[in-house]
Amino acid sequence: MKGLRKVLTPFAPDQSGASGVLYSMGALIVIIDAGGCTGNVCGFDEPRWHETRSAVFSAGLRDMDAILGRDELLASKIKSATDRIDTSFVAVIGTPVPATIGTDYKALKRLIGSKVDIPVVPVQTNGMKLYNEGEKEAYKALIDEFADAVPSVTKDQIVLGLTPLTYGKDHIDITLDDIKNIRGAKTLIAASSSGIDACEYLGRDFEIVSPVFKNNIPEGITGKTLVCHDEVVGKTIRDAGVDVDIATFFKLHDAVKKEGDKKITEEDEFIAMVRDGRYDTIAADICLKDLVPDYKGNWVDLKCFAISGRT
Amino acid sequence: MKHEAVFFTAEEILKRGKADIPDELLSGKNLVYSSPATLAYNSPGAEGFGVKRAGLSVPESIMLIVAPGCCGRNTSLISSMPEYKNRFFYLEMNEPDLVTGRHLNKIPDAVKEVLSFLKDSGRKVPKAVMICITCVDALLGTDMDRVCRKAEDALTGGEFEGVKVRPCYMYALTREGRRPPMVHVRQTIYSLLEPMEKDPRSVNIIGGFAPIEDTELITYLKSSGIRNIRQISTCRTYEEFLQMASANFNIVIDPEARAAAEDMNKNLNIPYIELTRVYSTDKISSQYKALSSVAGLDIIDSEEKAEADEAVARLKEAYPDLTFNVGECTNANAFELALSLVRMGFKVDEIYATLAPENFVYVKNLAMLSPDTKIYCNMEPTMLYYKISSSKAQVTVGKDAKFYCPDIPNIAWNQDTRPFGYQGVRDLMNKVFEALKEAEA
Repeated sequence: MKGLRKVLTPFAPDQSGASGVLYSMGALIVIIDAGGCTGNVCGFDEPRWHETRSAVFSAGLRDMDAILGRDELLASKIKSATDRIDTSFVAVIGTPVPATIGTDYKALKRLIGSKVDIPVVPVQTNGMKLYNEGEKEAYKALIDEFADAVPSVTKDQIVLGLTPLTYGKDHIDITLDDIKNIRGAKTLIAASSSGIDACEYLGRDFEIVSPVFKNNIPEGITGKTLVCHDEVVGKTIRDAGVDVDIATFFKLHDAVKKEGDKKITEEDEFIAMVRDGRYDTIAADICLKDLVPDYKGNWVDLKCFAISGRT
Repeated sequence: MKHEAVFFTAEEILKRGKADIPDELLSGKNLVYSSPATLAYNSPGAEGFGVKRAGLSVPESIMLIVAPGCCGRNTSLISSMPEYKNRFFYLEMNEPDLVTGRHLNKIPDAVKEVLSFLKDSGRKVPKAVMICITCVDALLGTDMDRVCRKAEDALTGGEFEGVKVRPCYMYALTREGRRPPMVHVRQTIYSLLEPMEKDPRSVNIIGGFAPIEDTELITYLKSSGIRNIRQISTCRTYEEFLQMASANFNIVIDPEARAAAEDMNKNLNIPYIELTRVYSTDKISSQYKALSSVAGLDIIDSEEKAEADEAVARLKEAYPDLTFNVGECTNANAFELALSLVRMGFKVDEIYATLAPENFVYVKNLAMLSPDTKIYCNMEPTMLYYKISSSKAQVTVGKDAKFYCPDIPNIAWNQDTRPFGYQGVRDLMNKVFEALKEAEA
């Protein structure tokens, strides 16, 4: 049955992706939820939360707030918080609750903007898409709000998509200053699927490569290999000369896709790829091995936080 | 901008009165700061025994989480625990489901497919399937009882006939409503029981999801001739769990189980007695007297009370001016614990907890004995600026208190197994004593 998971736990959702991009930018991040989604972000999908305090808040919605669409109350809560907390902008991140009640994010931005004198950046996530979509939406919202048409500073290189949910401890945050000057950067690099989307949104030429895996093929990969991770990770390993097919639960862009690559959604699709592909090596998070317990080949544990939650 | 966490002293709160508790200390008035306590308190599936683990406390059960992917994401943490392996399954909702509600039609087939998967892979077929749904279905107004009945009916006549299907509502949105998720899940669990012949020597202890083990309550019940003392967490099989319906009476140790106890009284004719976990030995003694009188038990508690009082005295003697900070992410009501500690002769500098109106009585009494005790709200946004440097405490109790005061000796006191009665007082005092001695060493 489509959508039924019997072995794997759900992957990082879009709201976690959005939060991951915004986390270190000094924003007042408001997740429009009742508390559970914020719990998932801070308690699970944001390993930095255990180490550094960041202004991630739940809107603390209750049933009648949602049923009656009390956006005014939400805006007042945000105003009260910005009066007492230093922040450069307000980011509001969507969840299934505003998706269900049909929240108008443009109107919400205007409403909050009428109460606070700092920028408001809404990110329209809904908890039903995957993290790369949330990262993409966050990049787009940041670019719309902050990117200068003619930047005053020319940066040599900006990497988009080197995020914690794809790269765990190897992530590198981009700053608000990077976003401000992004249109003038000499080189743009897309390090993951969301990076490709963001670069395409900018309409600039860019390079698709993972700085983490460039010149650094994981040990143990031999022969025909199935890489199941972010598409850029697979592409980078392939570009290094390995015979690779890419399987990704996330997005597979035409700029990356080659014959044998596949965007997969269901557990059975991964099982079928492994069964039919006769791979010498599978390079994927070890948690996926539970799907193919009979696979006898070589398994290289390529951690993916968005899949397993392992850093 | 002050860059300070907002607090109010007990005296200030008393002066304002119960009807004028500051907004900063109440839930629902502000954005919610993400502290460890908030995660446990505000998110009914996140930590401890939330809805997911609670639902699976039914022996030989599995859970199908029918929700957007985000709602099941952190279940990875629980799934890795051996007792939950192969017990969680997911039917992920997508955007069309949200509009059409078609995910509900898939549930009967999903249940069958999961049961077949378990059978075909050589695993045990469960006796109950708990269907966990979340905020989306709360807003859609889903009649999950009906959906579960349909799923159960669909198993009739097939190889899985007899497997029960029940709903678990992980509705964070209704956390402060009339039937919050943790109340409802207890009702769901005990709704599986069916009437049976009463055994006058059987008692249930309900409320917790991990056993209370070393407490004197068990000893008192046994010495009064109670032969079967059942807790859901000690039932190894579904059949054993069903035997809970034979109890002569229930002892409710958590107010969140009160509604379930009412249901059991009505449907199974099992009356209940409620005992509260408190840290005042005098109050514990009063409760046992009441239990003794109502249930006709023979309880002599002088020895256990003396042991608990001795543990208090030992700590007091070693650390006469000991000052605590108390959090709410702990096996205690933070305000009751703080008041009890002050009555024992200790000091309490800071409390980190949401001040629900029903706790005002503790603050009122605290204000008379310790007017300067500062009360912070874990949920309040300015907790981002909390600075440990201002605290005078030498020891903290609660996981959240450790978050705010990482360099002070801490007793998390938030273990799954619940402390209770004199045992709770005795063990907490001993833990504090040991932590302080260890810190000195």
